[in-house]
Amino acid sequence: MPTDYPNIVALYIVVSTGSRNEVEPGKSGFAHLFEHLMFRGTPDFSPERYQSELSKAGAASNAFTTDDFTAYHTTFSKEDLPRILSMEADRFQHLAYDQSAFKTETLAVLGEYNKNSASPTSKLFEIIRATAFKKHTYQHTTMGFVEDIEAMPNEYDYSRQFFDRYYRPEYTTIIVAGDVDPKKIRSLVDERWGSWKKGSFKPEIPTEPPQDGPRRAHVDWSSPTLPWVAVSYRGPAYDDNSEETAALDAISRLGFDDNSPLYQKLVIEQQKVDTLRADPPNHLDPELFTVLARVKNEEDLAAIEQQIISTAEGFATKPVDRAALDALKAHLRYEFALSLNDSESVARTVADYVALRRNPATIDRYYDAYSKLTREDIQRAAQKYLMERSRTVVTLSAKGAAK
Amino acid sequence: MMRLIRDLVLVAVSGALALPAHAEPRLIQLPGNSPLVTIRIVFTTGAASDPANKPGLAHLTGIMLGEGGTKNLSYKQIVDAMYPLATSVSVYSDKEMTTFVGATHVDNLNRFYGLMRDMILYPGWRADDFERLRDDAVNALRVSLRSNNDEELGKEELYSVIYSGRPYGREDLGTVSALRAMTVADTERFYHAHYTQANLIIGLAGGYPADFAARVKRDFSGLPAGPADSFKMPEPAQIEHNHATIIQKETRAVAWSFGFPIDVKRGDADYPALLLAESYLGQHRLSSGRLFQRLRELRGLNYGDYAYIEYYPRGMFRLEPEPNLARHQQIFQIWIRPVEPPNAAFALRAALFELDKLVKDGIPQEGFNETREFLSKYINLLTKTKSAELGYAIDSAYYAIPDYNQYIRSALDNLTVADVNRAVRKHLRSGNLEIVAVAKDAAGLSAELTGTAPTPIHYNTSKPQDVLDEDKVVERWPLNLRTEDVKVVPVETVFEND
Repeated sequence: MPTDYPNIVALYIVVSTGSRNEVEPGKSGFAHLFEHLMFRGTPDFSPERYQSELSKAGAASNAFTTDDFTAYHTTFSKEDLPRILSMEADRFQHLAYDQSAFKTETLAVLGEYNKNSASPTSKLFEIIRATAFKKHTYQHTTMGFVEDIEAMPNEYDYSRQFFDRYYRPEYTTIIVAGDVDPKKIRSLVDERWGSWKKGSFKPEIPTEPPQDGPRRAHVDWSSPTLPWVAVSYRGPAYDDNSEETAALDAISRLGFDDNSPLYQKLVIEQQKVDTLRADPPNHLDPELFTVLARVKNEEDLAAIEQQIISTAEGFATKPVDRAALDALKAHLRYEFALSLNDSESVARTVADYVALRRNPATIDRYYDAYSKLTREDIQRAAQKYLMERSRTVVTLSAKGAAK
Repeated sequence: MMRLIRDLVLVAVSGALALPAHAEPRLIQLPGNSPLVTIRIVFTTGAASDPANKPGLAHLTGIMLGEGGTKNLSYKQIVDAMYPLATSVSVYSDKEMTTFVGATHVDNLNRFYGLMRDMILYPGWRADDFERLRDDAVNALRVSLRSNNDEELGKEELYSVIYSGRPYGREDLGTVSALRAMTVADTERFYHAHYTQANLIIGLAGGYPADFAARVKRDFSGLPAGPADSFKMPEPAQIEHNHATIIQKETRAVAWSFGFPIDVKRGDADYPALLLAESYLGQHRLSSGRLFQRLRELRGLNYGDYAYIEYYPRGMFRLEPEPNLARHQQIFQIWIRPVEPPNAAFALRAALFELDKLVKDGIPQEGFNETREFLSKYINLLTKTKSAELGYAIDSAYYAIPDYNQYIRSALDNLTVADVNRAVRKHLRSGNLEIVAVAKDAAGLSAELTGTAPTPIHYNTSKPQDVLDEDKVVERWPLNLRTEDVKVVPVETVFEND
């Protein structure tokens, strides 16, 4: 994607494997561990040489893992593109690390778990997943279960198998945005990546059976914190052919954005809540519609939970306000335009969607569905998904506080 | 396919300005053809100007403007008005700067600018906004910082220890007790005294119309002319001997930060040399730094280890620094991300070992060449968005230096390894440090730090002999901490009272 931002190139390599692909028991967290291992070198490029080449290019390089994909991203000056594309081709095809490097890297992953562990929301998300899912791999976060992280040092052989399965062209998309000529990039990619062999592995991701009743859990947090409540509903998979994905996104915004009646009441007027937000499902498989609130006083927790529930489930009984839906559609258009404020953001945006469909055209289809969204579509989606039977509530409060 | 943003870089910085007082608002412009317009309004006032008994007042005043209503509109009405535009005003503040920043599509520039202007020029001073925002500030301290973010807590405490008793020693957010005693009248008073034209820098970037800058300047000329805040501050105290502060808290791992004041800021002769040394030792959130390589990559001690010569808050959430956090005084700092408790003392010693090596041996020629090449290109990534470019231009005006990228690149061209190593020897050291830890077993850690027994690393795999040999030196690296040099502080007392 050529952009008019000068000199800079953003390269995103998206591997369509994430914690969703961690199907074997005891092996959660491997997609994320792999994100780390990919920096452990090849026969031609030792980690030191790889690092040194990146440094000479003035590159900012990093990676991240989600439920559905792993992304490796590097931003640098355009003249270094051929060199960096070659290095990336090399590590995706010829990654080689020994037992010792493997074990040391597992400690860095534990270190990452440790630095996250000071935040109560990390724990809250762990428990939401574990409570809402019993079969599907979305039951663990991308970090994985802590006992699996602690057992990682002994799983060298499995890590090689993981690489062999998923680090293959049929799982990988290369995204280049910036001051570039697409034709030149195409031939560079063909030249450096063309001989990469396809694999054959297809994971059998377990299907989560329909939820048969409300669930709840509570987390006792060991240091002082404000209490949290999360209300989740089982939602659909991302789908750009139906209006459901857009409808649930619209509910997350109309119901819980800063200008929503509930936000205005709880955060601005009554001042009982200081954080309120909702995340709609946008995953490869059916995931969760989650509303999250941080509550100022423990004694308000139950009442806030009830108000979140009646707001979410209320979309099933009452059509949304016409003017509010129009304002939302305007908001979306400008939000999207404002988000593309450099080449890296352009590449990142495409990466998020490519992970879902391996084709950036899905962005157009999704926004098209959104622009046609009606009040009835929204009501129908709420009736189908936002109901008591598929609800999971998780609360978190400081140990010793009233539940 | 999506429509990509067109954006021409016609860079024109107007008003190359020096630090002294200004008769009228300073205006920094980066006009272009982009349909996006960024507005940065910076007041050179902040926590260093907080009254001694009211720490946190500058921050609270800033959010009263940026997250409260105006004379004519309630905060709800502002949020409603901005929603279809997908815009908002963000506000953040530090010791010497309070920044309001917003971006809009040029279609909506008039509506957005009108709202932003009124928020800054005609604040509503409503009691209910005040209650909400004061609560937010208290919870930002008590919950978000003290309870949920050990790493940021350690870094903020480090500044407060180093600048103890001085204006910079006041935490930007203040203290819980001071915030609770504040009134809306306090924020109004602070506003009238410090939101002056002399303190104002207006920044505009993107495809705004030709007459827009003059309009903004005219609107803001309604603010009182002066005075400008003065940041002639007392020198930080000399640190004699090492000192450690252990914040005791229920937590899994041990977070470390340590450092000391340096007499170098952007624009000073040794700044580029120290910037290169910082990058060599611990470039933020990249794997290239020596600390990252030796502590994380080689030994698996934690998630990352970095070095700083400028204030860099929220580093756990950001890959590039925020602009408009300019300061007249900076510290050198090393950040060691949380370490498993049995290896905690070793990790501190390993970082000190590397720092000592840097000071004694200097950077080797090859490391210098590579770091210089890295920085001369990487510097472009810092200003990859218009908003960042505008922020850097404002900082450059404040520090009275040329365009930051040009300034660094031309300085790097003329730099030699000898220059860098001389600057390192002059400004950096591996002793007389303030050290801060956040840990659960504070007593146990304190005993390790002050005891004579070595604190070896615990591996899960075999390591080459040269690493094991070095470990033998690191595990006994002198910390020079006596019992009386280590202070244990319960977390609930940090930033609680003045």
